[in-house]
Order: sequence, then structure tokens, then C-alpha cells
Amino acid sequence: MILPMVLGILVFALRRARPAADLCAVIATAANLAVSILLFKGNAVFSRAWIGLGFEFSLRLYNLSAFIILAMAAFGFLLTLYSVVFMRGKSGACLFHALVLISLALANGAVLANNLILMLFFWEALGITLWGMIAVGGRHSFRTATKAFIILGICDLCLMAGIAVCGHLAGTLTISKITITTGGLGGLAFIFMAIGAISKAGSMPFHTWIPDAATDAPLPFMAIFPGALEKLLGIYLLTRISLDMFTLSPDSWASFAMMSVGAITLVGAVLMALVQKDYKRLLSYHAISQVGYMILGIGTLLPVGIIGGLFHMINNALYKSCLFLTGGSVEKQTGTTDLEKLGGLGRMMPVTFICFIITAASISGVPPFNGFFSKELIYDGALERGKIFYFAAIFGSFLTAASFLKLGHAAFLGKPQKEDVKEAPVAMLVPMIIIAGLCILFGLWNSLPITEIFRPILGPGLEGHNFAGWPANKNLVLVTILVLIAAVANHLWGFKRTGSGLKAVDHIHYAPGLRTVYEKTEKGKLDPYNLGMKLADVFAGAAASCDKAIDWIYNNFTPSAAGVITGSIVKLHDGNYRTYMLWSIAATAIIISFLLK
Amino acid sequence: MPSLLILVPLIGLVALNLPNKDIMRKLAFWFALGLFITQILLAIQHHPVFWNYQLEKMDSFFRVNFSVDHLSFIMLLCIGIVSTASLLVARHTIHDEKERFKLINLLIIASIGMSGTVMTSDIFSMYIFLEITAIASFILIAFEKNIYALEGAFKYLMLSATATIMILTSIAILILAAGSTSFSDISQAVRSPGNNIVVVAIGLFLCGLMIKGGVVPFHAWVPDAYSAAPASVSVLLAGIVTKVAGIYTLIRTITAIFGLDGATRSALLMLGAISILVGAFAALGQKNMKRMLAYSSISQIGYIIIGFGTGTFLGIAGAVFHLFNHSMFKALLFVNASAVESRLGTMDMDKMGGLSAKMPVTGATSVIGMLSAAGIPPLSGFWSKLMIIVALWRSGDHAYSIIAILAGVVTLAYLLIMQRKAFFGKDNESVSEAGLGIKTASVMLAGVLVGIGISFPFIFNRFLAPLREIIHR
Repeated sequence: MILPMVLGILVFALRRARPAADLCAVIATAANLAVSILLFKGNAVFSRAWIGLGFEFSLRLYNLSAFIILAMAAFGFLLTLYSVVFMRGKSGACLFHALVLISLALANGAVLANNLILMLFFWEALGITLWGMIAVGGRHSFRTATKAFIILGICDLCLMAGIAVCGHLAGTLTISKITITTGGLGGLAFIFMAIGAISKAGSMPFHTWIPDAATDAPLPFMAIFPGALEKLLGIYLLTRISLDMFTLSPDSWASFAMMSVGAITLVGAVLMALVQKDYKRLLSYHAISQVGYMILGIGTLLPVGIIGGLFHMINNALYKSCLFLTGGSVEKQTGTTDLEKLGGLGRMMPVTFICFIITAASISGVPPFNGFFSKELIYDGALERGKIFYFAAIFGSFLTAASFLKLGHAAFLGKPQKEDVKEAPVAMLVPMIIIAGLCILFGLWNSLPITEIFRPILGPGLEGHNFAGWPANKNLVLVTILVLIAAVANHLWGFKRTGSGLKAVDHIHYAPGLRTVYEKTEKGKLDPYNLGMKLADVFAGAAASCDKAIDWIYNNFTPSAAGVITGSIVKLHDGNYRTYMLWSIAATAIIISFLLK
Repeated sequence: MPSLLILVPLIGLVALNLPNKDIMRKLAFWFALGLFITQILLAIQHHPVFWNYQLEKMDSFFRVNFSVDHLSFIMLLCIGIVSTASLLVARHTIHDEKERFKLINLLIIASIGMSGTVMTSDIFSMYIFLEITAIASFILIAFEKNIYALEGAFKYLMLSATATIMILTSIAILILAAGSTSFSDISQAVRSPGNNIVVVAIGLFLCGLMIKGGVVPFHAWVPDAYSAAPASVSVLLAGIVTKVAGIYTLIRTITAIFGLDGATRSALLMLGAISILVGAFAALGQKNMKRMLAYSSISQIGYIIIGFGTGTFLGIAGAVFHLFNHSMFKALLFVNASAVESRLGTMDMDKMGGLSAKMPVTGATSVIGMLSAAGIPPLSGFWSKLMIIVALWRSGDHAYSIIAILAGVVTLAYLLIMQRKAFFGKDNESVSEAGLGIKTASVMLAGVLVGIGISFPFIFNRFLAPLREIIHR
């Protein structure tokens, strides 16, 4: 955990010597990966008294955290390799690498921490590095960075409140010792902590910074953070709180609430994704939407759903980061991510295109890729809890497939808009190929992650099920396939109607009812951040006028008062010694008469 | 053998003025430097063999009672350090060898006067030494013989003469009342209550000293005298002459003779507060660097008076410590002012700017001096101001302690104005760093400020804690 931090600072120090810093970043992440492989499957507790207030600096490594660490290390390594090439020649590249490494270290710390305060420390520090990484992006990114920072900061505040209530209820802040029921205050604590967790994962309604960041921040950032690390962290925390810290039953309100948030997120975000005309922005909405599936899965609180949610978490991290990477390759080679200016890239960038096809199929849930299996598990859980959630999930799946058909069609097929586009450099291709390969591996051999990683996490709660292999419920599979076929049909119909891959889903965009919602959302009117900012403006106005009054006292009143006093004192000194002698004698007289009294 | 501190310079002074002046002129500087450094070392060391051994014949020949206590040690140390700084500045600002020789002679005379003042335990001898110092100072202020120098010297002369008349009148009354001039005899005589004429004498005496010390409203000669004097003389005047002639004598006579009764106490507190405020606000309006520093001196003297006015050990120790610190940082700031003057030829702060870049030593040391004057930890000025404010609060004078704290803001304000106008900002002149002697003086004084600030606990135990004796005598 310490390792990337030290090396991150080293990279920061080396920012003048470009090649050295790049190399250092790659080596650092590789070393981090090696360490986490070694630690994987280990169980360790490291504990040391800290700042003498009863808090312990306590780290705990067990199967879930070890797995998350390993996953983060792997992504860290692959994406750093990618970003070294991608960021070459851009300003702030070294700063970016340094921040990535420091963030990696902080994320490791947050995952390993066995003390809520310690976790909160790492968690909040991540907000700062996040701000830095977005701000590296360029001129507009500063605003976006601030927006992200404020949203996450407020959510972290919720987390802090939740932790405080937890500590109050449980009498300890050591995570592994806390067990709380969700009645009364405990429910409040759960809500606060869940807000902290799902906001980090990027769920609605805390998502609005992600699409903005997609356009403004450096692309590798999107692949690393909203794509992979933040999902891992957020879902990790959500799992921890719903499985370890709070005792929840599948038919409690908490479960219902989580599933609702999940369902709304996945449908809402995918609807937005459908109409995007920018490669990265479209992907960023999917990043939000997929979180909905995970929250839905974990929210069922059934073993099948939780396994599905966790499996989906890792799958999503895989294909989403790979999709962002394909976006990065396209941006690097063509200079734009505007879908209207792209087209026909499939022939010119074959490797990128193949990776895109694999990962797009994964995210749409096409068998036999990994996304299919995890989604089936989630469907299974959702169906058991209520048909409405199942339909939401299926509908989301339909829209996901439709939007990726649109994206693929618009970017890689159709008439080329630009000639002479070359394939991306090898260092950028390698991470994409590896991740796409993992997508296939986790699909075909899904028993590997499920039996090796996820089952031990749930332990005895499994009731003898083995969720690996082909899904048990054949009907669900049938429905899924039908939905996918429907999506293709929808796309083809739309394509025929409009004659363009990009506009193939316009009939949904301009469907009655949806249209106004879209318009308002595009203008940011439904963005809670903007609403909050308007409210803040009112407060700021009141505060500013109050401030002006105080300012006036400081800036005008005090100096002018001082000026008057100074001026009159200076005027009194007329330079005539007779006056001065008179003063002295008069003062002497006064003092003597005072003493005589 | 404390009388040696008077005798040796006196004999040396005569020897220097014997014929064959060419050699003597070269020797004068080194002789004076040696004297002052010896004085510093003796005052730090306070070795009993030197201070307590009585030379019967010599002392009786003088008919002066020298008695040295810890207050005297601090003052002697102060005199030594500031005189050294002044001497170093003189060496590098006055280029005509003859003129410099005269100035060094006068410097030695002034330092004899001051050393005598702080060592004597006899009210008339004290007056004599005060006058020696004063006369040397008149000539030193008028040294450049231009219209401003003469004006400044004349104002000082007039007000000082007023003070002399008051002090002499007072001494005459006191001799009539006590029949002797030693501190202890007068002390016994004046403490019997109800004698109005004695109270008048005390009032006259204290007011005379306050004229010499430049306490508001007796202060008006101070800015003219300080700014008209040549560089090295303003260092000496601002640094030590007024402190010894006015403030030390005030502290000494009140603690040893008159005692601090309720009326005197409230008069001192009031005068101190007025001095602090008037000095600080007047400094705010100055454009001439030396004048600003002069008003700043008045304000700092207010702090000393107000601290002394509490009458508690903490307050008096704080006042003495602030007296010492003020000598150091004000001397430092005046040394730096003289460095600027020697390079720029003006003291108008509107014509300066960016000097820090060209005069790094001067710029850096003046930041130290400024911060110390404003009372920023851990520099020495912070500790003494803290002691004074705490003492005021403890003795129940909350209003005065708040004035003292708030005036600190004004102090910082005018010092920052000076710093910004003179040393920071855009530079518009091509100047070079000051000469070696001035640099040495600046670094020495800045070192004292930092060193004392850091080793404050040690300083307190060695120099300030023994001051208890002067209250309880």
C-alpha cells in the first residue's frame, strides 16, 4: 500500500525528466500488481495504536479486500501502460501519473482499512486526487473538477455522518466488529453510509459529474476511475455495509430502497446514453447505468443477486475500462470523439474494432461473454424479489444493446469520414487486448471467478448453490436472447428509417413524453448539482451582502478613521519648539496636580 | 572596580587628543571598539571580582557611589551593543577622517555618560552623568551643521534644558528634605506622607525624565532630532540615549526612591497608553523612514512605561526586557535606514522600492527587526510584549492590555508599509549592498534578536529573574 504512494511522489519529483517518470509509473504499478498477487488469498491483520485517541491504525486483508486490491492493481498497471502512451506530449502528464499512483495507494488504503475513521481518511483523500486528475484535463476541466469534488464531498460528508452514527451505536469503529440492525438510528446510519458508497460508484442522483468529466478530463482518467476503481471501491463498501456491518434481511425496506435506486439508475442512465452523440459521453452514461445493475443485484440481498452484483462489478470494470480505452484509441488517432465526425474506422483500426465488439457484446449481455453471466444472476435475483425490477433490468438491457449498436455502427461502420487513420500504438493495444481477453475468459470459464473469489465471500450463506456454469433458469436466458434480438431489430428498423447508424435510435429520443425529459436533462435542469448550486447562489448572495458590510468596515471605515486620527496627530506637530515646550510644561502641571490629589 | 568603566575611557580620551593626531585618528576607532566590546563581555559575564572589588582611593577620589545590580548589567550590555553598532556605522558613513575622529570622541563621551548614569546610586551624580550624555548628544545631532541638524539639535536643547531645570529644582527640594543625595537617604525622607512640596518635587523630577525619554506629550523633539542626526548618531540616540536618559532613570528612581503609589501608577499607565497610540498612529502617517522609526520609538516607549506601570514583577521585568529588545530592534532598523540612506541619499519612502533584491542583507535583517518590533514569535520582541500584556491583564488593567494588543496591529501596519515601500515591490534604482561595517552591525543585531528570542527561557533565568531584587528593596 505504501509502495505506490512513495513511487507516486517520486514520479511527481521526476516531472521534469519525462521518460524516467513514465518508466517509474509503469514499474510502480507493476510492483504493486506483483505485491497484490503475492498477498492474494492471504489473511493478515496489521494494527497499531494511532494518535492516542483510541483509534487504531488497523489494516485487514481478507478474501474480498484482497480480491479488490488485486483487481485495482491489475487495472492500475494496464491503464498506466496505456496512459503513458496516450498522455505523451500532453501537458500535465507526469502530474497525472503521479496522481494516479497516489490515488491507487489511497484506494488500497481505503480497501484495507479495518477502521472506519481510517477508511474515511483515505476515502476523502481520494476526492482530492480525483479533483487533481480531472483538472489536469484542460481549460474547462477545472469547473468539472470542482463539480465532482463538491458532489463527492457532500456524499463523503454523508458517509462521515453515517460513520459517526455507527460508531455511536456499535461503540467501536473497527469494521470487522460492527453489527447493527437497521431500526431507528441504525437505519439512518445505513442510509448515510449507503449514500457514501453508491455515490462513489456513480449511481443516480450523484452521477452528474461523470458525463462532464468524460468530455473534459483526460481519457485514461475515465477508464481508471469511473470505469474501474471507483466502481470497485463503491461496490466494495456497499457489500461491506450490507453484508458485514448491518444485519439486513431480503424483505427489509433497505433492500427495497437499494433495488429501487439500482433500477432507476440503470434505466435512467441508459436512456441518456442512448441519445449521446459523443463517444466518451455515451460511455460515461453507461458507466452510471451499469452501477444500477450492481446495486440492484446486491440490493436483492439474495445470494444469487449478491454474487451477480459482485461478478458484474468486476465484469463491468473489465469491459467498461476497455471500452473507454477504445474510445481513447479513437481519440488519439482521429483527434475527435464526436460520433458525427467518425465512421468506417473498423477497417482502419481492426484490433480496436475487435476489442470493441467483444466488450460491447459483454456489456449488452450477449452470451457467452462475461456480462451475460453476471446479468443472468442479477435477473434471477431481481425476478425473485419482484417482477417490476426484473422488467426494469431487462428494459435496461434492451436499451444498452440498442445504444451500443448505434455506437458501433456510427463509429466503426458506415462511410469513412477521414482517410489515413492508423491503428493505435502497441502499448495502447496491449491493455485493450488483455482486458478483452479477460472478458472472454470470465465468460467461458465463469466458474473461475465465481468459485474462487465470490463464493468464499458469502461463505455459509450459499445454501449449497453453485452459481457457476450455464445459468440454471433457461426461461430467463430465452427472454434475454429475445430482448437482444429485439434490440437488433429496433436498430435495423431505425437505420432503415433514417439511413444513418447514428440516428437509428432517434425514434426513442423523440418519442412523446420522453422528449421533454431529454431536453430538460440536456440543459442540466434536472441535475441536482445545478439545483443545489442555485440554492447555494441565494445563500451566497445573502452572505456576500453581509460580507460587503464587514468589508466596508475593514476597507473603508477603519483606514479612514485611522487616517483622520493620524492626520490630526501629524498636524498637531507644527515643528515649533515653543509649542512643544508649552505641551511639556502644561503636561507637567497636570501630572503634578494629579499626584497632589 | 566599576569605576574603571568610566576612568579608562576618560583617560583614553585624553590620550587620543594628545599631539601626533595622525596615528591617534587611526587608533581611535579600534580603541572605542575595544572599549565597547569589553563592556559587553563584562556585562554578560558579571564576574564578581570585577564588579565587587573596591578600589578605595580611586572611588573616594571620585566621590561617586557606584553600585551595580542586575538592572545595571542589562543596561550596560545594551549600551555596549548599540554603541558598537553606531561605531561600525560611523566608520562606513563618514568618510572624512577628521570628522570621524571627532564623532568617535563624542561617542565615547556619550557612552561614559550613559554608563555612569546606570551605575550610580546617587541622585546628583545621576544628574551629572545625564548632562554629560545630553551635551554629547546635542553636538552629535548637530554634527552635520546643516539647517535641519541645527534645528533638531536646538529643539532637543530647548526641551532638554526645560527638563534640566525641572530636575535640578526637584533635586534641590529633595536635598532640603533629606539632607543627602544618595538614593537610600532620599527614599526614607520622601516616604513619609503628607508633604506636598516633596510630591511636587517628585512630579517635576519624573516629568523632566519623561521629556528626556520622549514620552507623549513630552515627545515632540524626538522625530526632529532622530531624523536630523547623522546615521550613526540616530542609531545611538534611538537605540540607547533616550532609553538611558529617560526610561532607565525613571525605572530606577521610582523603584529605588519614590515608590510606586496608586497615583503614580495610574499616571504612568495613562501616559504609556497615550504614547502607544499617538506614536503608532503618527508613525502611520510618515513618509520619511527615519521619522516613521522615531514615532515608532515613541510608541514602543509607551509599552515600556505601561509595563512598568503595573508595578508587578512580571510587568517590570517585561518593561526592562522590552527596553533591551527595543534598543536592539530599533538600532537595527536605524542601521538599515542608514544603509539605505548611504546608497540612495534620501529617506523618502516613496522614492524607494525593491531594495531587498539589491541589498539582500539589509532587506533580510530589516524583516527580522520589523517582525521583532511587531511582536511575532519566536523573536525577542514577542516575549517582552507578551510579558507586558500578561502583566497588565493580571494586575486587572484589562482596558490597557487590550489597547496594548490592538496597537500591535497598528505597529505591524506601519512597519509593513515601510517594508513594502522600501524593500519589496518593483525596484527602480541601481543600488549596491551597504558597506561591510553596516552589514556587520545589522547581522549582529539581528542575531541578538533571533538568539534571545529562541533562548528566551535561559535569558529569563539569567537576566530577568534577578530583577526581583529591585522591587523588593
